Order: sequence, then C-alpha cells, then structure tokens
Amino acid sequence: MSRPLTIAVAGNPNAGKSTLINALAGSRLHVGNWPGVTVEKKEAQFDFAGRSIRLVDLPGTYSLSPYTQEEIIARDYLVHEKPDLILNVVDATNLERNLYLTMQLLELDIPTVLALNIFDEAEAKGYRIDVKGIETMLGVVAVPTAATKNRGLQELLAAVIATADAAADRRPKALSYGTDLDQAAGWVTEALHQHYPELAKRYPQRWLACKLMEGDTELGKEINLDTTTLLAEPLHHLRRAHGEDIEALLAEARYALATGLTFEVLRKPEAPRREITEKIDRVVLHRLFGIPIFLFAMWLVFKLTFDLSSPFGDWLDGMIAGPFRRWIEVGMGAIGAPDWTVSLALDGVVAGVGFVLVFVPVIFAMMFFITFLEGSGYMARAAFVMDRAMHTIGLHGKSFIPMLLGFGCNVPGIYATRTLENPRDKALTALLLPLMSCGARLPVYVLFAGIFFTHSGTVIWSLYILGIALAIVMGLIFKRTLFRGEAPMFIMELPPYRMPALQSLLIHTWEKGKHFLIKAGTYILAVSVFVWFLLNLPWGVESKRDSYLGQTGAVMAPLFAPLGFGTWEASASLLTGVIAKEIVVGTMGEIYAPQADAEDTGPTPTLGEDAREMVVSLGGAFQAAGHNVVSTFGVSSLAAEDEDGATPLKGAVRSAFTPLTAYAFMVFVLLYMPCVVVAIAMRQEFGSWKWFGVAFAYQSLLAWTVALLVYQGGRLFGLGG
Amino acid sequence: MMPLALLSPGEAGEIVAIRLHEEKKSCCGQCSGERHKSDNRIEELGLRAGKTVAMLNNGAPILLRIDEARIAIDRSLAMKIMVRRVQ
Repeated sequence: MSRPLTIAVAGNPNAGKSTLINALAGSRLHVGNWPGVTVEKKEAQFDFAGRSIRLVDLPGTYSLSPYTQEEIIARDYLVHEKPDLILNVVDATNLERNLYLTMQLLELDIPTVLALNIFDEAEAKGYRIDVKGIETMLGVVAVPTAATKNRGLQELLAAVIATADAAADRRPKALSYGTDLDQAAGWVTEALHQHYPELAKRYPQRWLACKLMEGDTELGKEINLDTTTLLAEPLHHLRRAHGEDIEALLAEARYALATGLTFEVLRKPEAPRREITEKIDRVVLHRLFGIPIFLFAMWLVFKLTFDLSSPFGDWLDGMIAGPFRRWIEVGMGAIGAPDWTVSLALDGVVAGVGFVLVFVPVIFAMMFFITFLEGSGYMARAAFVMDRAMHTIGLHGKSFIPMLLGFGCNVPGIYATRTLENPRDKALTALLLPLMSCGARLPVYVLFAGIFFTHSGTVIWSLYILGIALAIVMGLIFKRTLFRGEAPMFIMELPPYRMPALQSLLIHTWEKGKHFLIKAGTYILAVSVFVWFLLNLPWGVESKRDSYLGQTGAVMAPLFAPLGFGTWEASASLLTGVIAKEIVVGTMGEIYAPQADAEDTGPTPTLGEDAREMVVSLGGAFQAAGHNVVSTFGVSSLAAEDEDGATPLKGAVRSAFTPLTAYAFMVFVLLYMPCVVVAIAMRQEFGSWKWFGVAFAYQSLLAWTVALLVYQGGRLFGLGG
Repeated sequence: MMPLALLSPGEAGEIVAIRLHEEKKSCCGQCSGERHKSDNRIEELGLRAGKTVAMLNNGAPILLRIDEARIAIDRSLAMKIMVRRVQ
C-alpha cells in the first residue's frame, strides 16, 4: 500500500462542506483544534479502493485574503503543509461566487478536484451546468455531488485518487489575469528566482508573485524582506495603467474569470421559479411577524427539548438513585471497603456526578435542536430579525449568532465572537453573552421548575427571555459608557433553507454535547469528591451544617437572605457552581443525600429484577417521550408527577424552597458570574483578564439586584415568601 | 442612478458605484481612507460594480438577491451603493 494521500477540503461557508465530509468519513471523523487557535479542525482517515486517504477540513471561507482567522488558517495550511490535493467543494447553485475562491486556490498550483455539490438542487431549479466545460477551462476534474443524498461520492473519491496519481501532469491551468497583470507577475517571478531562489522554492510561484504585488501584510510579516526595489518596476507599470489599488485590480481579474466561466457553463431557465426559500423568508423575515415568529420558534425548541428528554432524565434518575446506587453499595460491601469510602462513593461521586448525569438527555436534546436551527438555515434569519434590536444596544445582527450559540454553551459562543471583524463588537458581544442561558444552567431550572411549577416549560422559557431582556438593558448601559460609537457595518449571507442530513445532525449534536460528558467525568467528578471532603471535615463532624462547607455556606448565607434563599445549603451550592453551573445541582445532591446508614432495609431486589426493571422503565420513557411530542401543546410533562418526591433531593428542595424563592434562585443562577471555563475562554480570546473582570463585576451585581427585585417584589404582591 | 436602499421590493438594479469611504467617519473607525477589511467582505459576497441585484426585503436591514445568494446588509450601507434601475 502506498503512503496516505493528504487532501485539504476547501470551500465557501454554506457550500455543504461539512455534510460532504461527514458523508465521506462518517464516524471516522476526528475533531481537534488548529494549533495555537481554537478554530475547530476536522480530520478523517479512511481507505478507499486500497488507498489510504486523509481528509483535512479547512475552515469555510469566501476567499484566501488574510482578513479573518479562518482565511489565515486555510491559506497557511495550503501554502506550508502542501497537501497532495485540494478538494474544492463548490455550491453548484451559486457557481460564480464559489468560483472566486476556486480562482485563488488554483493560484497555489496544487492538483485540485472540484466537487460540484448541491447538484441536485441546481438540477431541480432547472440549471444546466456544463461540467465538461468547467473541466476544460480550469484544467481540473469536476464531479457533481449531492452530499445530503450520498450521490456522486464514489466518483468523487475515484477522481481524487486518479488526479493525485497523475499529479505531475494534472496541475491546474495557469489562468490569465489579463496581459498587464500576467506580465507583471512574470517579472516578479523572474526577479524572485534571481535574487531570492530560497523564497521561490518555498512558495507557489504565481501565488507568491500575486501576493507580493497585492502588498499582503501577513505574507510580508512572514518573509520579513524588503521587496520595494524588486516590486518597483512592475508595480509602477501597473499603477500607471490601472490606478493605485493593485489588490482591487487582482480581485477584479479573479472575479472577471469567475464571472466569465459561469457565463460559459451555466444555463438558467428563462423564468426562474419562485424559490421556496424566498417564500419562507417573506413570512419569517416579515417586518411585524419576524420577531414573534422567532420567539415562538425558540419557545417550541425549549418545549420540545424538555418534552422529549424529561422521561429519559427521569429514567436515568431512577436508575442512578436506585439499582446503580444499590449495586455499588452491595459491591463495596462485598469487598469489605471501609465505611468512609462507601460514603465517598455514594454520597460524593454518585450523588454529585449522578445528579448531573441525569441532565445529559436534556442537554443533548437542546444541542440537537440548536444544531437543527444552524443546519436548517434559520439561525441566520434569527440574526436578521434581531438586527434592529441589536442596533439599539450598539451591535448588529451578526453578534446575535454567537449569542444564540451561547444558549448551548457559552464557551463556543465566546469563540464564535471572532467572526466579528471589529474589536469593539467582539468585546461587547462577549460581555453580554453570559446572559444567554447555557445548557449547564438547565439542570438547575429543570430540577426547580419541575418541583414547583406545573407549566415548567414556560417558566424555564421565561428565564431565557429574562436573560435576553437583561442583555438588552446591559447593552444600552455599555453603549453609553464603555463602548461609545457607532455599530459597524452589517453584511451577512442568508443560506437557503435545507433539511439537515440526519447523519451530520447527529455528529454535530454529539460534538456539542460530549463536552458535558467529559466535564462530568473530570471537573464535576473532582469537585464532587472535594465537596464530599468539605462536607465530612473536620473528621467525624456530626451534622453537615458544622462541616467546612456548611460553615462557609453559613458565613455567606446572610448575603442571600434578602433574596429569599439565605440557607447555608443554597450558598454552598452557588459557591461550588462557579466551577460549572451544573455543579449547583451536584452539590445539592450531595448535601441532601440520605445518610448511608439511614437507608431503609426492605427486601433488596436481585440483580435480575433490577435489570428487568431498567429495561421496562426505559420502554416506558420512550412511550412517554412520544406521547409528549404528540401532545406538545398543553401537556405539562415535567410537572412533579411523583408527588411524594421520588428522590431525597427533590423532597429536600421542596421543603427548603417555595415557588417564589425557587424562582429567585433560578434567576440568580442564570445571572451570577460566568463559569471558570468561560473565564478561560475570554482570557484566550482577548489576551487579558480585563473583559472577564468587567463581566464578573457587572454580573454579580446584576444577579443580586434582579433576584432581590423578584423576591421582594413577589412578596409585595403576596406571592408568599 | 440612485442609492440601492431606495429600490422597492421586487425591483432590481445594476450596481454602478460603491461609495464607502467618502465620509470617513461613517465607516468602521479604523479607516484610513484606504481599502480595508470590510471592502473585501462586500466584494466577496458579490456586491460590486456591474452586478445586478434584486431587492427582496426593504426594511432594516435590507435583504438582496445576488445571483443565487441572499445577502443581508445595513440600510446605511445600502445608501452608499449606487444602482441603475433595470426592468
């Protein structure tokens, strides 16, 4: 077998690149980060026709200019790592713009294969694309594909291998940018060969010449060389004939080629059909209905999330508190483990990690729907309808996407702020982002709302809305203080609506959700053990109230008394929740865990009975989830059906809080300081702790004030304290 | 010739000129009168002289069809793009 072929996959955003890679690589996909930055890097290695193929997914870009981090990553990889081949994914329904990137890729003189993706939609629109024509004009192989339907993938891989094998005589054609530019590029190349042969060997020649003429700043930094004299002559000629801006001149030439090629190979039907996307947009982006539709869509997402996942959460809850706990107890008893280790395992690890794991179904369901919104194209519409609202807080619609992602987890949201070109936007977006309620806060809401409110879905939704409303208020304040000045230009593509392929939906849901599982196995495990020790030290402490954690909580409790939850248990949970907000629930699980020796000694079910019970109740969970979805409207699935308090935690919470204090507590959890991981992400993105410091300060203040208003206001209206 | 923002929904116009840097204070704040990031962003998305664009949604922001793509832009930006109406 020959060496693996390294293939760089490049293309525009929304060209279906990641669906294509998922279809080609399936589960063999490996997700990491590009070195030094936190942009996701996907790789996959697999065999096809006896050859080993390594796919490297480059970030989606519109060009290879050095203006965004994605573009820099893509071109650095292509120029320095010299892949065997570029697989350029092109959106066949939007040839011209996609071919602009192709023109830049061809400058690199690397064997290239075009995937004319989304070809099925192009055909459905009545487009006729002359594939042979594209091949002849560019000197590369082009393969029609429809990744969502697995069409054309075998042919594509075959073309990739054939092209790679014939690499020597399968170089793309050197396309002409017009006499003047070609000539100037020729001069530069020649001069480079004479004076800097080193350089000419390191970089693709045509690309190097073009970039030097453009005055590319990134490249300038890289080669660190004074090329003024070398460029003087050719640039002088060009400028005299075409004006000062060589970068614009080259861009013009590339566009001209892309436009010309598209004109040659694409035949559109005379009267284009009204596109379904535009029909939907006319409703969804409507001046008056746009925002209500958006709010309804979000409500639906939350509703479905909870209805679908809660039966599974309950099932896991029952399993962990029941059979699983019992087995560990019996198992550890059998090997004669000392009492304190049994307590550590049961009251520390099982109670702490277990109570967080119970919320894995709800988190995954949430991630699934967020992924669906992204994949379907609605996410960009949300940015569009929110643009005007965002302007009032000094931002524009594009900042809304990081914020929406923040609903899954704030951390990717913080990283997504880098798509914003302006530093001011970036900082302001990141500051407001923690007000978007992330998945880790959900366990707290689900627990509390489920216990205290019949319409728990609506209560939880109200918290999300509260977060958004407060983001607007804070934005207004920041706009007048820290961030004066105009919101910069808004320009964004709205992709067509598509039904996301199930496979890539599942892959991306898994990628988003797995961090919570990893967190549960690492941090939360560690914190649970730590909390157990704090709860059981000093050694032999009689009541949990007298433990170190209890003492610390008691010291802090008066601070929270005006908010309605001035108990040491609540304070201690909030304190540990700074590490990650789901730990609030974990810590409560430990605090309210039943004493191991106080366990009732009824007849213990056998292993077999337990196993059967697990399967039967899982079946019940599926049934309940199905039922919930069918009757989404009006059913309160999360309501406390288990009135007698199935778990000790629920019972304890029910007696420690009232609906009003529970709501104030949830508000506090929503707003108080961002978790440690967000802090680290902000430090990484901004290179200093400054913005995290600001976020920490304003959020602590905000959380306390708003929770105070909720509690005291509620009491005023006689909602009970 | 008229600003793009004045097209009604359903109308189309051919871009004649893009006048971004005539008033300096109106652009991104890092502007030195030269070409900068946002120019490229605009062009990469297909907004450049000679292209025909269709107005889909004239509100704030504005939604355009350029070839097969739908591009959303600010009203203020659309005021700086001059078009010739086409039938």
